[in-house]
Amino acid sequence: MTSTLTENKIPLITLVGQPNSGKTTLFNYLSGKNYKTVNYPGSTVEYSISKILGKFSINANILDSPGIISLIPSSADEKISVDSLFSHPKFGKPEIVIVTVDSSQLSRHLYLVKQLIDANFNVIVVLTMLDILRKKNLDISEIKLSEILGCKVIKIDSRSGKGIKDLLLSIKNSISETNINEELFPEMNIHNQKEKLLESYRHIEEIEKEVLFYKEPENGNNHFDINEVNKKLIVLNSIRLPNKPDNLTLKIDKFTLHKFWGIIIFFLVMSVTFTSIFWLASPLMNLINDMFSLLSSGSEVLFGDTLFGNLISNGLLNGLGSVLVFLPQILILFLILGLLEDSGYLARGAMLADKPLSMIGLNGKSFVPMLSGFACAIPAIMATRTISNKRERFLTIFIIPLMSCSARIPVYVLLVAFLIPQDKPWIGGIALSAIYIFSIFSSLIIASVVNKFQEKIIKESDNSSFILELPAYRKPKLSDVLNNTFKNATQYIKKAGPVIIYLSVFLWILTYFPNTNPQVNESGKSEKEISELKNSERIMTSYASSLGKIIEPVMKPLGLDWRVGVSLIATFAAREVFVSSLALIFKITDEGDNIQTSILKAMKDAQIENTGEKLFTTATTTGLIIFFVFAMQCLSTVAISRKETGSWRIPVLQILVFSSIAYVLSFLTVSGLRFFGIN
Amino acid sequence: MRTAAELKLGEKAIIKDIDNTHPSSHRILEIGFTPGQEIVLLTKSIFNDPIGLSIRGTIFAIRKNEASCIII
Ligand SMILES: Nc1nc2c(ncn2[C@@H]2O[C@H](COP(=O)(O)OP(=O)(O)O)[C@@H](O)[C@H]2O)c(=O)[nH]1
Ligand SMILES: [Mg+2]
Repeated sequence: MTSTLTENKIPLITLVGQPNSGKTTLFNYLSGKNYKTVNYPGSTVEYSISKILGKFSINANILDSPGIISLIPSSADEKISVDSLFSHPKFGKPEIVIVTVDSSQLSRHLYLVKQLIDANFNVIVVLTMLDILRKKNLDISEIKLSEILGCKVIKIDSRSGKGIKDLLLSIKNSISETNINEELFPEMNIHNQKEKLLESYRHIEEIEKEVLFYKEPENGNNHFDINEVNKKLIVLNSIRLPNKPDNLTLKIDKFTLHKFWGIIIFFLVMSVTFTSIFWLASPLMNLINDMFSLLSSGSEVLFGDTLFGNLISNGLLNGLGSVLVFLPQILILFLILGLLEDSGYLARGAMLADKPLSMIGLNGKSFVPMLSGFACAIPAIMATRTISNKRERFLTIFIIPLMSCSARIPVYVLLVAFLIPQDKPWIGGIALSAIYIFSIFSSLIIASVVNKFQEKIIKESDNSSFILELPAYRKPKLSDVLNNTFKNATQYIKKAGPVIIYLSVFLWILTYFPNTNPQVNESGKSEKEISELKNSERIMTSYASSLGKIIEPVMKPLGLDWRVGVSLIATFAAREVFVSSLALIFKITDEGDNIQTSILKAMKDAQIENTGEKLFTTATTTGLIIFFVFAMQCLSTVAISRKETGSWRIPVLQILVFSSIAYVLSFLTVSGLRFFGIN
Repeated sequence: MRTAAELKLGEKAIIKDIDNTHPSSHRILEIGFTPGQEIVLLTKSIFNDPIGLSIRGTIFAIRKNEASCIII
């Protein structure tokens, strides 16, 4: 399955359909979720591909594609999706195209079907969401629809597997048909003019009248009898189709989009989301941290104070821990976002946010990516793909690193703990919220400034548009949401994991070499003391400290010294590495107290070497917090920003702009506080 | 000449035409806003923009600026 050759040789079935028409649900059923995701080379459009499960005995690849509304693309990403439907760069032309059609929105979804048939694809139409149609006491005659369209039409429910057997049979037959008839391959000959489109819709409306019929609610007997159905088939010519959206949805919208309640609900939802990210995740994060310090000390016992033992415990395990410690927050964020999306609220959130966001050059569709940015910038930047306008998309990507991602939390927690009195931990909560609100406002201000200069910075222009389907509210399906959450979390680990681990090992090398076996005065000291002395001697004479001393002049205006400088360099792996790297530099061992208490103690005692001034004061610590609010320190984010924007422009500008803002504001904060006598 | 952007809350109208000079007009047609169809202004966002229009049983949130190419 991993070989490209075999993938190219066996038939390809591509799933096509409008967003939310049930493609992925069907894909998961047929692939058993054993997919891998592939990118269209050089772009952000992602596909899942898999072989059809062995038990279905069809030897073919199935490709789940991003939703498209029409074969005439209206954004760059849509164009790539459409182009690769005609000829995928890696998998070629599809032998079969399965179009998922939401039966409850028949006319709108048949439009794409007609285009695909006109383009000569070998089409199988799959009708989904029949349960929703049945709730309106309507049903579809797939036989008639098949006759009119001239292609196979199958009713399925891929959540239960109903109808899949028929689908498999059609696939088998179609594959053998295409083998005979290789010539019938799709050509691009799609109509573009308004008149043709209108004609298409007129035809579809005719079809709709022919195939939809009223059906009494079922009385326990679920068996489909075609003759029975045909007997009951009443042509809908004379009857008006109920074109009213779900009543309950309309009632709920009265509240969620209300001028007063709408705002209250919006902020309530947001606060619940963030509070749960913090409170639910924090015990799990502590657990992961504890587990890794246990593993780390275990490996020290096992390998002793050797090069190898140090590499394992301080290099590899440290890196792995930094990756995994965010997993709880990312999982919880995506779980909540998934629930909100599946319930239908997220689309309303985007609608509410559109007006204010559009005033600063963003889009309502920037709302969800920005929200994800509070967990991690990496999945957030990937989520901007739904924004069709390139300028708005790039601007969203530009400011996402300013969202207070979860990697900053351990740093803020430590620094805030340093600032506040020990006996009043609740002040910490307020301070943290204040930091969040500050970072949100700053990012909005920066977005509007960047928007002013957008010709210079973003360099893209496009028709700004916000057209978004407001789906009916419904109870979210937990298994789907969990599945998606899992997919997002794996993506995070895959994208961010390697970078963080390599950098951790690299940083470990910087702190361990060249003086690997320092000489210390061992007389009358215990083994543990000797080992600690060696550790600190090693780091004092390491490459990291030389590097730190080089950048010391830069740190001075911020009231900081080379040791904090080294820790800031270390944050390029991931921001939270700041904490563990401070621990390393201040020679804190895990034993006895918990690590935060020991770091806090070390911070209180730390002095600037030449002058003897205190290193961490209220002023310098606040300055550091400000620095972390703005600085673009995460190399994984830089990498993903490069990948998603397709050039180095945006990521380089992000580094330059955000780092300068961070530095200048941090400097102003420190000097300002000192000016007012706060030290 | 009225457009969908000027509808009152709860007001129904039949689409007369779509102004194809608007850059979003093609997408609006494609999602089903075709002449002869009934639209209803069902909801408005807090700032009265975007608005929620129902078409063929589906609700779309759509900016007023874009809705103004739907002639009723
Ligand atoms: N009621 C109902 N929901 C379905 C059916 N098929 C899929 N869904 C749900 O519709 C939503 C969208 O489906 P998905 O497969 O993600 O659509 P995609 O955007 O085309 O990939 C999911 O929450 C599915 O659980 C169906 O036959 N009936
Ligand atoms: Mg999908």
